[in-house]
Amino acid sequence: MKNPDNDKEKEAKKAAMKTLRAQRKDLIASASSRMKTQKKDIKAIKEFLKGKKATIPDIAEGIDMPKDETLWYIATMKKYGQIVEAEKEGAFFNYSLNEPEKTQEKEEV
Amino acid sequence: MSENNKKVGVYICYCGGNISDHVDVEEVRNRVEKMPGVTVARTNMFMCSDPGQEMIIEDLKSDKIDRVVVASCAPSLHEATFRGAIERAGSNPFIYDHANIREQVSWVHHGETATDKATLLIAAASAKSKLLKPLEPIRVEAKKHTTVIGGGIAGIKTALDIAQKGIEVALIEKLPILGGRLNSLDRLAPFGEKASDILKELLDPVLNHNAITIHTDSKIETIKGYVGNFSLIVTKKENNKDIKLNIETGAIVMATGSVSYTPLNGEFGFGQHEQVITLQDLITLLKENKSSGSSLEVNGKRIKNMVMIHCVGSRQIPGIHQPKENGQLNEYCSRTCCAALLNAANQIREKFPETGIYEMYRDIRTYGRGQEELYEQASKNKVVFMRYEADAPPVVSESNHSEYPLKVKITDSLTFNEVMDVPADLVVLATGIEPDNVSDIASMMKLPIGTDQFLLEVHPKLRPVEFSITGIFLGGTCQAPMDTGETCNAAGAAAVKASALLSKGYIELDPFVAEVNTDKCQGHGACIEACLKEGALTLTEVKIDGKIVKKAQVTAAMCLGCGACAAVCPKKAIDINGWALKQYEDMVDAIVSDGFAV
Amino acid sequence: MVPTNIKNFDTLVVGGGIAGLQAALDLGDQGYKVAIVEKDASIGGKMIRLSKVFPTLDCASCITTPKMSAASHHENITLFTYCDLTSLNHEGQGIKALITQKPRYVDPIKCIGCRQCEYICPVHVSDAEQGDFSARKAISIPFSTAIPQLPILDVEHCMLCGQCEKTCPTHAIDYFQKPEEFIIQAKTAVITTGFDLLPVKNNFQYGNGHIPNVIDSMQMERILAPHGPYNRVLRPSDGMEPDSIAYVQCAGSRDKSMGVPYCSRVCCMYAIKQAMLLSGSLPLADIIIYYMDIRAFGKGYEQFYQNAKAMGIEFVKAKVARIDKGENGSAIVRYENQDGSGIATADHDLVVLSMGMIPGWDPRSICPVSKDSDQFITSIKPKISPVLTNMAGLFVAGVAAGPKDIVDTITESGSAAMEAAKFMSNSHMEN
Repeated sequence: MKNPDNDKEKEAKKAAMKTLRAQRKDLIASASSRMKTQKKDIKAIKEFLKGKKATIPDIAEGIDMPKDETLWYIATMKKYGQIVEAEKEGAFFNYSLNEPEKTQEKEEV
Repeated sequence: MSENNKKVGVYICYCGGNISDHVDVEEVRNRVEKMPGVTVARTNMFMCSDPGQEMIIEDLKSDKIDRVVVASCAPSLHEATFRGAIERAGSNPFIYDHANIREQVSWVHHGETATDKATLLIAAASAKSKLLKPLEPIRVEAKKHTTVIGGGIAGIKTALDIAQKGIEVALIEKLPILGGRLNSLDRLAPFGEKASDILKELLDPVLNHNAITIHTDSKIETIKGYVGNFSLIVTKKENNKDIKLNIETGAIVMATGSVSYTPLNGEFGFGQHEQVITLQDLITLLKENKSSGSSLEVNGKRIKNMVMIHCVGSRQIPGIHQPKENGQLNEYCSRTCCAALLNAANQIREKFPETGIYEMYRDIRTYGRGQEELYEQASKNKVVFMRYEADAPPVVSESNHSEYPLKVKITDSLTFNEVMDVPADLVVLATGIEPDNVSDIASMMKLPIGTDQFLLEVHPKLRPVEFSITGIFLGGTCQAPMDTGETCNAAGAAAVKASALLSKGYIELDPFVAEVNTDKCQGHGACIEACLKEGALTLTEVKIDGKIVKKAQVTAAMCLGCGACAAVCPKKAIDINGWALKQYEDMVDAIVSDGFAV
Repeated sequence: MVPTNIKNFDTLVVGGGIAGLQAALDLGDQGYKVAIVEKDASIGGKMIRLSKVFPTLDCASCITTPKMSAASHHENITLFTYCDLTSLNHEGQGIKALITQKPRYVDPIKCIGCRQCEYICPVHVSDAEQGDFSARKAISIPFSTAIPQLPILDVEHCMLCGQCEKTCPTHAIDYFQKPEEFIIQAKTAVITTGFDLLPVKNNFQYGNGHIPNVIDSMQMERILAPHGPYNRVLRPSDGMEPDSIAYVQCAGSRDKSMGVPYCSRVCCMYAIKQAMLLSGSLPLADIIIYYMDIRAFGKGYEQFYQNAKAMGIEFVKAKVARIDKGENGSAIVRYENQDGSGIATADHDLVVLSMGMIPGWDPRSICPVSKDSDQFITSIKPKISPVLTNMAGLFVAGVAAGPKDIVDTITESGSAAMEAAKFMSNSHMEN
């Protein structure tokens, strides 16, 4: 069943979104580029950790990323359930990918 | 009502690691889930947070559960929080029980023992919860009247605040005059207001307020009753005669204040050299001093050098400091002496430039607004600061020198621990604050006293001006050292609690009191003999089938809920609501069955 | 444009931290209608962001969340979060405030706080709530115990991809939400605007915040907190468990040249507390506190300090002159010994700056209430009632009236509530 009013509403919304996007062009551009970098970085970390565990310095060296930034990503990915902490090695902890069955886009606890 | 069809929800708190660092909370949840009658078992980082409470509300509303057990910290902290949540779900708040798995488990046990004990406590609580009945709080009338004990600045401020809210106040002071320790002070640190002006500003409206009755020269003989309905007997001296007053009151505020520490004989030469005095002595001296020259004169003698020693009777350390005769050590900081001493030092240096001052301190604690400026000013005034360690205090002795009577030996940690003899015409000891001894009043009301001898509040942040006995509050230096402004804040905080308590005219009390099963009661009377609270249980005559028989009757507001009656009744005709004998049996059964902990 | 939306209350509480919550509860319990206006997305203030609190070592959340919850469910208290106060003035017998509700881009009535929007959002943003040590999403609930449980869409970092809108089960996302102005009229107001930490970025002696592993005390609170960024103590430069941790006391306090001349009053105690928590989680680590005077003056504080000493925490009486970047992520602390023995240096894995407190709010051009030279609100009667300001009917409590700890703040808030209640019953009698 088609409701012409609904369609009209949708059109209006589309137009309004377009205007809003135009207004926020610069912000959107910088957010998008940041998101793309993040996506790439997270993918690199995930690929590096496939089937193994590693410490922050290991990961950082492996994917050529500053160590503080690596930790920032790992902390975030841990929060959102993609990474778990493994045992300690010297003064550092190891991290590994969360097992697939537990992987949920969910904050722990 | 059967206990078997009850649906118990168990909510286990991580307490942000306080519990989960030692108790395997998820393992406990797995075990609890399998317990008989438990339909829901959940965990949360902070069960007391809104999302945590919301879980309970959701489960109650969707009828998943009809009994609630929260396993978290001590019930004294958050029982009221969870009862409130249950009420918001539209349920009776008394279908709730609490398992303390923090203070009684995670803070005292570790590893598997902790996990096992937490499981057992929850098993017991959920067994008990199945027999909980919906109850109504006991509503008692409350007298719109407060009694403030202590007529120092704390008591005066409390009385005035409460009276200005339209509640009558009896202000009781043991001495003949109001004002307490402020009467003996002069210029107050750090801003230099005159103590007498401050007192007058508060005293004038107190003396003229219709709602305040002042009883000076009065001593409290007895305190009885309960929140909303306390009664006090007070002996008041009037025209050299003792008269007895009976005060009926709804709430009581302890504002019994403090005294100045008296140094032990020989402590820094006190009592051995007349030139060793206390800070209080110095303040009195300055108040009355008429010296007009460029040096302070005391007893006709010019003071060329004065030594001030900080932390006398405060910050005492076991094994280093000598306890008093009763074994008491004042381990606390008295908070006010640093600023008071600097204030006096500045006054002297500015008025008597030829009087030199040495301050010997451990840490300068000018924490408050305007106080750091006092310290800075003292440096500008060329007060010499020397620092000593607790285990190497300054030593005051005779100088054997004609110019000055005393010398003070100090190992100064500000200058490579150099040992120096400082000449002194006068030594001033910054004596700290001790609570006034109110053990008699405290024991009448069973008020807790801390190891520091100050009165002890329920919790410094959750309930800072309350005692665990409802309707009794505290404010000012009977609680801890404070300066005048801090004392007035504490007084205001106590006043606001008393006002809120009495504003409705009635008070609701927990219904965990004795209840008589009149069918079973034979009028035996053993319960009345066993009852710990006079007036809580009586034998009354009732007519049943034309015969007059005796039955026990409970005055709910008076009942302590202690259970002494239930223990002695030969017919098991009396029991405690919320804590019935059968509930204890079920709890014990749940614990000894031990089936859950393995 | 003058807003026509006027809301009436007995008392307006400005600031929903622990001071404001306590004042509101003490007024609400007496039957007064109270509005709490809070600039942040959640009530709870600084206290809810702490790990544990001295001297009882209760977890901060254990004490704060129940008060937050009690205020949010109180029949006499209304919360206005994520709001700016534009003006606050006397009007007639009372007080009038102009307030702007900032847009969350989320409908507060429809939203159920399920966080699906947050999980789906593809943009990560450095999370100031976690000391910038981890990320949140461009749409997120500020922290797990926040009240209200409403997400905020961060326009600065949103790319309008529409995923949150599509995911939201209740259609609560509204990209077109606008700021809304309204007026609160009240008989009285209580200012409980708290504090900020003096920013490190202005302290060149401490590296202006650019030296790795030199962090401020609030960041350390997050590292120690139960919901912290790492869930354990790691140093931010490389995730190493630190072996040597130093505290620099009076960083920006009691020093005109570095920031503020006054004592911030809580730093000694929070440093001791953090040191104790650290020695609990890292029993082998060396913990050193560089201090000028230890100011442990509250009830039970001196005993707490002595316990810390007995636990092996080292106290060095020294003024730290500067901090430099060392090798392998360490920081070099250069300090002047107070015993006159001169300058010394020490290497640490992690350095915590006990930064002082500055006012969280400046009344300039918003409210005619007067400030002192320390920039905190002036108490006109610091002895008989420190909560009185130069504006009749307007009271102040907590750190807004000068640095103080939580215990003193809570007491002062009760006192402010009492003064406000008295003011209202007196003016009632006059009318």
